[in-house]
Amino acid sequence: MSRLALPLVLLVLLLVGLVAIDEPRPRADLVVSGENEVFTLDPQRMSYLADMRLAYALYEGLLRWNTTDFSLEPAAAESWAVSDDGRVLEFDLRAGSRWSDGSPVMADDFAWSWMRLLLPDTAADYSNLFFSIEGAREFWDWRQSQLDGFAMDPWEQKKHKERVRAVRGMLNRFSALQEADPRPLEIQWLITDPESLHAERMLLQSALDSGSTERLQEAIEQAHVHRAMVRELDDPQSRVAEARWMWDQVEPAYESTVGIRVEDDGRRLVVELDRPVPYFPDLLAFAPSSPVHRPTVEGWKVDPKVHELIVQKGWQAVDLPLLEQRANLELSADTGRLIQSHRWARPDSLVSNGPYQLDEWRYKRDMRLSKSPTYHDHELAGFNTIEIRSIPDPNTAVLAFQKGEIDWLTGVAADCRIDMLEQMRLYKQTHGIDAPHLPGIELPDAGPGQRRNIHAIPVFGTDFFSFNCRPELADGRPNPFAEAAVRRGFAMATDKESIVTNVTRLREPVASTLVPVGSIQGYESPAGLEFDPEAARRALAEAGWRDRNDDGQLEDPEGVPFPAVELLYTTGSPRFARMAVELRDQWQRHLGIQVVLIGQDTKFFKDDLRKGNFMVARGRWYGDYGDPTTFLELCRSTDGNNDRGFSDPEVDAALDAAAQEADASKRLRDLARLEARLFQEDMPLIPVCQLVDITMYDPGHLSGVTHHPRLTHYLWKLRPVVEPSP
Amino acid sequence: MTRLLLKRLVQLPIILLAVYTLTFMLTWLIPGSPLEKSEARQPPPEVVAAMESQYRLDDPWYFYWDYLGNATGVSWILGERNGPIVDLGPSLRHENWNVNEILAAQLPVSMTLGLLAMLMACIIGIITGTMAAAKPGSWLDLLSLLIALIGISLPAFVTGTALLLVGGLWLDWFPVSGWGRPTHMILPALALSLPFAAYIGRLIRAGMLEQMASDHVRTLRALGLPERTILLRHCLRNAFLPVLSYLGPATAAAMTGSFVVERVFAVPGVGNHFIEAVLGKDITLIMGVVLVYSALLVIFNLLVDLLYGWLDPRIRLA
Repeated sequence: MSRLALPLVLLVLLLVGLVAIDEPRPRADLVVSGENEVFTLDPQRMSYLADMRLAYALYEGLLRWNTTDFSLEPAAAESWAVSDDGRVLEFDLRAGSRWSDGSPVMADDFAWSWMRLLLPDTAADYSNLFFSIEGAREFWDWRQSQLDGFAMDPWEQKKHKERVRAVRGMLNRFSALQEADPRPLEIQWLITDPESLHAERMLLQSALDSGSTERLQEAIEQAHVHRAMVRELDDPQSRVAEARWMWDQVEPAYESTVGIRVEDDGRRLVVELDRPVPYFPDLLAFAPSSPVHRPTVEGWKVDPKVHELIVQKGWQAVDLPLLEQRANLELSADTGRLIQSHRWARPDSLVSNGPYQLDEWRYKRDMRLSKSPTYHDHELAGFNTIEIRSIPDPNTAVLAFQKGEIDWLTGVAADCRIDMLEQMRLYKQTHGIDAPHLPGIELPDAGPGQRRNIHAIPVFGTDFFSFNCRPELADGRPNPFAEAAVRRGFAMATDKESIVTNVTRLREPVASTLVPVGSIQGYESPAGLEFDPEAARRALAEAGWRDRNDDGQLEDPEGVPFPAVELLYTTGSPRFARMAVELRDQWQRHLGIQVVLIGQDTKFFKDDLRKGNFMVARGRWYGDYGDPTTFLELCRSTDGNNDRGFSDPEVDAALDAAAQEADASKRLRDLARLEARLFQEDMPLIPVCQLVDITMYDPGHLSGVTHHPRLTHYLWKLRPVVEPSP
Repeated sequence: MTRLLLKRLVQLPIILLAVYTLTFMLTWLIPGSPLEKSEARQPPPEVVAAMESQYRLDDPWYFYWDYLGNATGVSWILGERNGPIVDLGPSLRHENWNVNEILAAQLPVSMTLGLLAMLMACIIGIITGTMAAAKPGSWLDLLSLLIALIGISLPAFVTGTALLLVGGLWLDWFPVSGWGRPTHMILPALALSLPFAAYIGRLIRAGMLEQMASDHVRTLRALGLPERTILLRHCLRNAFLPVLSYLGPATAAAMTGSFVVERVFAVPGVGNHFIEAVLGKDITLIMGVVLVYSALLVIFNLLVDLLYGWLDPRIRLA
């Protein structure tokens, strides 16, 4: 037995050693947990709510929202003014606001951070939010074309669209190289035959202008001089030099084309828009427009003296270090892109300007924030320390909340939430309290079978089902849903009330339009189509589908039965499967139509959506900014998120007109008219319900959680509720 | 012994290469792109294409060799890059982190949990197995059978949740979530140990019964040794040998994390990457986790073989 004891002792020792590595931390003043993992702390790269919630704690944008009614308040800007024509905005920065390394927050910080946002190299999901700034779109296109010309070979492209990009990029590249002065010697730019080059160029340009696939193909094949010159430029050393030369043009181009100016000794930021955008200030409160600290993001390696100067006067006061002296940047000789390492967004290196600073971040485990000592308003944040804990299992999260390990839990997904919401309803009924979260309400303790710590907050998002609006299905069959009357019929045959009470059981507010009702100040949501099986059958009959041989199924005039409807949903959560089953039953019952359910994993689902390989598919959209277009742009024919393939020139024109409209209230009325038309006639999708966020906290202990549909939580707004002493 | 060791050490890279290649092919078959976000806005297609080429996702062949070179340290030895010798790449989904850091932070957690679970499994298994074998057919035997049945047949998300409810909420002895203190570890380790304990208990019982019917035990009895001494000193020792060969792969499996247990108890270990990285098609993370897991598995099997020979002189593995 003694031989066995030795490995056992070793095992125990190893165990003790491993336990000792992990030192426990004291509990933070506030512990919060949400369903979602934090993906990145780089605000320009963010697109998830969980990430943005942290951005609002760590960074401070020019403006912020008043989370009760979502009007705007000054934040990093002390004051701002909009010119009479609505095109020029001026922001005066707060004096004395500082980054967490002590350096001052200047207008250049914003100008530079927005350049990051507008740079294709950053691959920000929200670059196009800023495209209404004068020259911003041009800047993006210019850089993208520069990269296309550098990385895409026009002779290798198979698709017309890509060939157009490649040729355009090449032409731009050649003219830029031609005009370059000085041109780095390493770049292999040798013109042997200027006349042919010019002739080819004209040919390529006119082929591009004609938009003809064949002409472009022909022109490319004849462009021998261009081809030979591109091959010369392929020399590895030449490419390195050219990528560098291209990059050197970026910042001057940004300064000269984009309507963002720094004035008044770096204290004032002037933004010029290419058209009046009433909601533009709202975008400035949105996380991706937060400023980041350039020396940190780029990883400047500077000597202590320069560092001292940066801390005193800001980075714009010193000369930019060479690209080689910026550790987080690298130029790719393959694509020409600026590759940015995101490793600066970590506790030991992150420099931020918000009310909190990042103390610790352990991957998929926890994150700790504490009040930033350099922030200009020490009273703003309520809790000294906040821990954000990662609890992947929804049931465990609820148990941890019950036990008091968590003070605030968002995105409650455990099945028991339905019963808990019932207990909350009982509590509200018994005590006659409608909104227990509002301040100043005396909250009695929850009796048996009741609770007061779970809340369903309707949010800025809508669940819907998309119709495939393309004339043909992906496999070439004719698409019955190409006709608006058919879509209307299906929408009116959908009993949404039954879905939210019997299927999701969360009693979300049902929706007949896409923009969540009451979420945008000054916007009157129109009425959509209501549930009406009789009218639904009439609409289908109008489109030629009626039961002609009394077999309970619909046929067209030639007697061809309505094809079985393929309903595509994602299998990740039971919610959508249950909704799909309910829809199948409803449509079979009310319309006599066969429905085939196709459950797909998200990856396959996205693929099918992109290819238009569906008849009806589940969908969901969250709004980004406080304007109806954040939802309605989904119906633009060219929108990247128009999964439905819905295309109507009138709708596009109405969206364009709204974009140009200077009168804010007329604009909102026009948009309401557009939404009415979309959801009374066109019906590209069936809105089902507004989404709700289920969140758990005891309003008797925690205050400051907003219940506004915009669903933006400011961690610094949270306060403990001080019990009145008896 | 040395020959066995050498043979295994030669085998190790071959096995790892095979695992790497197979995993690589499978991951490449998953549709979609790690740069794509579900339920969120998409960057323009030209940007996605450029990002894919930045991470070499458009060129599987290059990716395969490049990653292999970085992960094995070959490219470091050849002086092609700086940084850590073994570089498992950046996480494609969590851009602020790289796979080395993720594994360095989370593997110790999983290993602690796994080792503790194996320790518990041995203790529970030996106790229940010995109890059962001492009086076959008695209520003690039935009880141990019941424990084994629960351990083997109930999935961890049931036993785990039950343990959470009882130990965490009703009795209020242990915290429900988190990691760092010894009290955090008891419940998840117990949940993780149950199936292993059940198996070990059954192995011990069978081995003990066989031993007790053997000639040398009859001789011991005839010599008048107390029953307890016979059981604990003579039978258990021999009955433990089959358990030992089971312990190798079992420890490796327990130490590299259990998706369900880690999820239920919010333990920040590597187990959940097996599912989440695959769902998110985070290729570098998948490859990193699989490589580390396979290496651990092979090494543990080797360790057990060595231990086996050392414990039982009859089996000198040539």
